[in-house]
Amino acid sequence: MRAVIGSYTIRIERRADLRWWHTVVASVLAILVSLFLVGFAFLRAGADPLEVYREIIAYAFVSSFGLPQTINRATFVLLAAFALIVPLRAGLWNIGMPGQLYAATLAAFGVAYAFGAKASVNAQLNGAIVIPLMVIAGLIASGLYGAIAGFLRGRLQVNEIVTTMMLNWAMLWIVAHMIREGGPFMGRTAEGEGFTLPTAIRIPQILGLPLTAYAAVLLALVLTWFLAKTTLGYRIRTFGESPRAAEYAGIYATRISTLVFTLGGMFAGLAGFHYFTGVPGVYKIPKNYGEFADFSFYGLITGLIARNNPIAAIPVAILFGGVSGGARFMQGKLRLAFGIDYALLGVLMIMMVAFQALAQYSVRIERVVTAPARQVGLERGESRVESPRH
Amino acid sequence: MSSLLVISLAAAAVFAIAALGELLEQRAGILNVGLEGVMLLSGTFGFIASKTSGSYLQGFTIAILTGALVGLLHGFFSITLGSNQVVNGMAIWILGFGLTTYIGYPYTGPLGLKPFPTLGGLPTFFVVALVLAVAIWFLLFKTHLGLELRSVGENPSVAEASGISVTGMRYLAAVLAGMLVGLGGAVYSLVYNPVWSYNYLQGWGFIALALVFFSLWNPFLVVVGAIFFGILWQLSLYPELLFPNIFSRYIWRAMPFVITILVFILLSTRWFRLRWGATKPEALGIAYERQG
Repeated sequence: MRAVIGSYTIRIERRADLRWWHTVVASVLAILVSLFLVGFAFLRAGADPLEVYREIIAYAFVSSFGLPQTINRATFVLLAAFALIVPLRAGLWNIGMPGQLYAATLAAFGVAYAFGAKASVNAQLNGAIVIPLMVIAGLIASGLYGAIAGFLRGRLQVNEIVTTMMLNWAMLWIVAHMIREGGPFMGRTAEGEGFTLPTAIRIPQILGLPLTAYAAVLLALVLTWFLAKTTLGYRIRTFGESPRAAEYAGIYATRISTLVFTLGGMFAGLAGFHYFTGVPGVYKIPKNYGEFADFSFYGLITGLIARNNPIAAIPVAILFGGVSGGARFMQGKLRLAFGIDYALLGVLMIMMVAFQALAQYSVRIERVVTAPARQVGLERGESRVESPRH
Repeated sequence: MSSLLVISLAAAAVFAIAALGELLEQRAGILNVGLEGVMLLSGTFGFIASKTSGSYLQGFTIAILTGALVGLLHGFFSITLGSNQVVNGMAIWILGFGLTTYIGYPYTGPLGLKPFPTLGGLPTFFVVALVLAVAIWFLLFKTHLGLELRSVGENPSVAEASGISVTGMRYLAAVLAGMLVGLGGAVYSLVYNPVWSYNYLQGWGFIALALVFFSLWNPFLVVVGAIFFGILWQLSLYPELLFPNIFSRYIWRAMPFVITILVFILLSTRWFRLRWGATKPEALGIAYERQG
């Protein structure tokens, strides 16, 4: 596209070479512009956005209460991001984090329930046996729940976006069944929330953080290695780039898509396991469990902004874990309407897409050089190639 | 029982109108997986407009305008910038979900207008949906414009070579579809269930999207599917009508979503998949870049 303004030409062209820093700049810009736009919500409430953001940072990344909360939220977001990243490397979309994370959570609490954990918070249980069983049950449940979408996609070409979304809603109602109105996991006193996990089978902590937080960082490294260096990782990427070519290379669509969704489901499952069995002050399926389902979509944006890179997702997850929690804190303080973190989620998503799309284009401004007046009477065969363009 | 049927048809109207919009743009090669987001945005803005002005007309107008604008936005990303349509659709969905949760929250609660009039007992918008299905069928298969729209969805470079503006056609489809989906969103929030609450749409946009895939891109099958899901949804709300005392009511609420997946599986016969592959707009979801 070209537009001429005065003696300047503005050229907008699709980049032939998209460098890595183009996408980094696009991601950073998307985050900054989104924070700027959401600042208007604070402005409308009569607060100075800069001051609000200063307080959010002070709360989420500095205060001794907010920082562990940020890290716990970031762990959740990071694991949810892996749930997007693995299938997306194979070109498939997993938006089933809510369903998968609650599949794992229900399975883990089911194991605890089977050991009689519902009876009392002080129930005498052997954590060394029960906790690993809870992890295994959670991984199996979330892996299977994820695998449904992958198998249907690979085998029957059923759109995985629709399937995962349907599975999300189904699971949210199943959770409601389990914890509300006399459901098996209903807490003894409170209504509408699950029973509290006994102290003996909560995830152990190191330096005030649940083990799962450390595990998530480790998993980022393992996942990077897996995708980059192993045969299976290579197959996944090949399939993502061209399913047809992959088929000629003997890579089966059904196997790959089932595999990536199983792995993705397991990561989402770990996110749920981390938050509901590991985060101090939670240790149960909370009443507002639906909000955590929504919160897992921050993993979707994190994966996209990090451009499918598990390690790059770590800082992004920390940022979003902190800002979303901090925004919620300020929302309470300024008495704003519910959902400022949701607004940020929405704006971030559209800005991310806009900037990633725009990063594909280059804008150049050139001075128009007027071609010299055409000489008359050129000899036949004489070169006319004199314009500075050539 | 007959009142159940009536309210099922009211629900079917929402599914049908939104799915017809999506069908129209898919026929032109544009895939918008963010139907839910478009419906949330238009439904919420329509709801706010109606609630503050007390007029249905304003609500519907705002909703349709919102839908058109969001369609334009999706078109800009997908047509002009040529970026991945699935990503764009996701963005629209999350944008709708996030923004409406924040913007709509102060308006939580019932609409407070007197119920929208019916057409002799039949839900008005079900009749509208039927008319729209016929109109879209006529447009797509009996008019020159429809032929051009479909050709853009099948083989854009050939369409371009025969003098059709691919960009223009696709924008037209995206905006028209946005308006229809916006209307669908407003039918939900103003007529079917005029109570705003956070994320009130509960996945209906995704069910409508699934309907388009079920329907082999045929407007009449969209309506049939919509009626099926309308009845299913109502049964999940009032299971005691057919199956008293089995499962808790929460398990019943999960049913329509489980059944959507089951329908996908049941439909996946060899015959259906062949037909599906043959009917699917060839260039669905693929950005067109003009050569030269």
